[in-house]
Amino acid sequence: MEAAISSILFYLFATIAVLSAFGVVAARNPVNSAMCMAVSFASTAAVLFCMGAQFLGIVQIIVYAGAILVLFLFVVMMLDVKSEERSLSSLPRAIMGVVIAGIFAGMVTKAALLLPDATAGTCPVKALFCSDCKAPAATETAKGELSGGALPALAPEGEEERSDVKSLGATLFSQYNIPFVILSFALLSGTVGAVALGRKVRKD
Amino acid sequence: MEQHTLASILAQGSQCGDCAGIWFYLIITILKLVLVFAVILAFVVLSVWIERRVAGWIQDRPGPNRAGIPLQLFQRFGSKEEQPCKKLLHFFGVPESCWIAKLFRWLKLDREIPTFGLMQPCLDGAKLFLKQELTPSYVRKLYFTLAPMLVLGPPLVAAAVIPFSSGFSTCFGDVNMCVANLGIGPLWIFAISGLSVYGLTLAGWSSNSKYPFLGGLRATAQLISYEVAMGLSIIPLLMMFGTLNLQNIVQYQADNGWTILPLWGEGLTWQRWFMMVPMLISFVVFVTCVFAEANRTPFDMAECETDLVGGYHSEYSSMKFASFFMGEYAAMVIGSALVVTLFLGGWSIGFGADAALHAWCDWFAVICQFLMFLIKLVAFIFFFVWVRWTLPRFRWDQVMKLGWLVFLEVTVANIFLTAAIIYFVK
Repeated sequence: MEAAISSILFYLFATIAVLSAFGVVAARNPVNSAMCMAVSFASTAAVLFCMGAQFLGIVQIIVYAGAILVLFLFVVMMLDVKSEERSLSSLPRAIMGVVIAGIFAGMVTKAALLLPDATAGTCPVKALFCSDCKAPAATETAKGELSGGALPALAPEGEEERSDVKSLGATLFSQYNIPFVILSFALLSGTVGAVALGRKVRKD
Repeated sequence: MEQHTLASILAQGSQCGDCAGIWFYLIITILKLVLVFAVILAFVVLSVWIERRVAGWIQDRPGPNRAGIPLQLFQRFGSKEEQPCKKLLHFFGVPESCWIAKLFRWLKLDREIPTFGLMQPCLDGAKLFLKQELTPSYVRKLYFTLAPMLVLGPPLVAAAVIPFSSGFSTCFGDVNMCVANLGIGPLWIFAISGLSVYGLTLAGWSSNSKYPFLGGLRATAQLISYEVAMGLSIIPLLMMFGTLNLQNIVQYQADNGWTILPLWGEGLTWQRWFMMVPMLISFVVFVTCVFAEANRTPFDMAECETDLVGGYHSEYSSMKFASFFMGEYAAMVIGSALVVTLFLGGWSIGFGADAALHAWCDWFAVICQFLMFLIKLVAFIFFFVWVRWTLPRFRWDQVMKLGWLVFLEVTVANIFLTAAIIYFVK
């Protein structure tokens, strides 16, 4: 039953995410595209929630809600929505897009297959963040029912030692500390650069 | 405290072979959902009433006093009495100058059945339902219809993580008195209630009209500026509590003193008294950000009548217009609930009374704590309204300056101050 609930939710949100991601590229109107993107990110967050990665899910919403709003403003303020609706994409552009998308999809698939327990049927995200912790009893029973599929089980939540905020923080600040700091500096320099470019230069 | 999740209960159920645990979990969850939904909607109506009453009180005018049930109504339905109240006093032989008669007159019992203006929100609602619904021809219909829903929906969903009482145990299992006991409590509320700004922005854009569009832009800019300070301002608290789970945060406050009133338990140590400084800074910044997020008056740039006609909702009418205001009040209720939960001890009665009550009777403790939570909520909503009718509206550039040049720096410095206190003061 648990596996059934989690598969229903997973398929529901995954379908919404994929369909709205398709809508982002298919929609003629840029505003519709931006809104489809919001829906797609929200359902991705829901999929993460189903996997028990609550922190990742909520960060997905917090970060991208603001980001898509800014995107929306760019669309509304800078693009002429009417002329964008009329423009058609050319064949070379489409081919280039397909190639880039294919490369990216290949990369993601490879990375997903490299994850520990990727083929064993447990949740890849949980395996990523707490590979050392024991798989809970609930997941053990679910694994038995789910021998064929690769669907994640509804993960137990709330217990202090398995809190994904803690394990995510511990991983980021110990194992990946240096890349994290470098990335933070890159973002900081981006922000400073944006402020420097956007500043009004006084003539006198 | 034992925590019951769907997964563990389902696992137990399938192992033991009985379904009692599952049914208990489902029924309790539905009951809690209904309770939270009812509390939020009741408080939306109640805060409209508080707003009118307090506004009248602060501005030294009667406030909503025409929404009682007039006694003339009974005459229309066939009562022969001219003034029923006077007749009643006469019947019992009470003279006109007696204090009972004066009290009756003060309560306006001689004219109407007093409802203290509580009928006003109902009549407002009825009026808005019966008004003509007008959709201008030049709007983008889909987003124009979607926008009010996006404003009203998120605050109702965000309420799911707020604990409104401590847990108790029954013979079927423990009950945790918040709908979803997530390990990310405050973040959930930030994320979900932040989504309601989509409604404001889309309303402004889809109206296809100048002033609403400016209102929508202002709403976006304000949200992005104040969400940063809001998130940073609770980090000192999280450093002290060491958890993001709201139920555990409130439990900690019940045991060790409320965040800004540490008078018992561990709250009597030197560290906690030094911590009062960063906590009070956090409190001020957080409350101000809640005002800004809820679009309340010192910060209601998006609907500033003097600049923007009506702001993002200029083109709306009838119940769609009302949904924006219900959303605003719901956001105010959620914001108050979050401030109460993080800073004022949530459901805890305080002074060690929680543990004593629990030792005496679980059910009584839960009911008392629920009432305590409601009392604190009403008090904080009163504070919201008080500020609205006391402070004038800021100018647009002042709001942006306050967000980026004051709050951001203050909150970052506050985090370092808290870390220093935790490290040096034992």
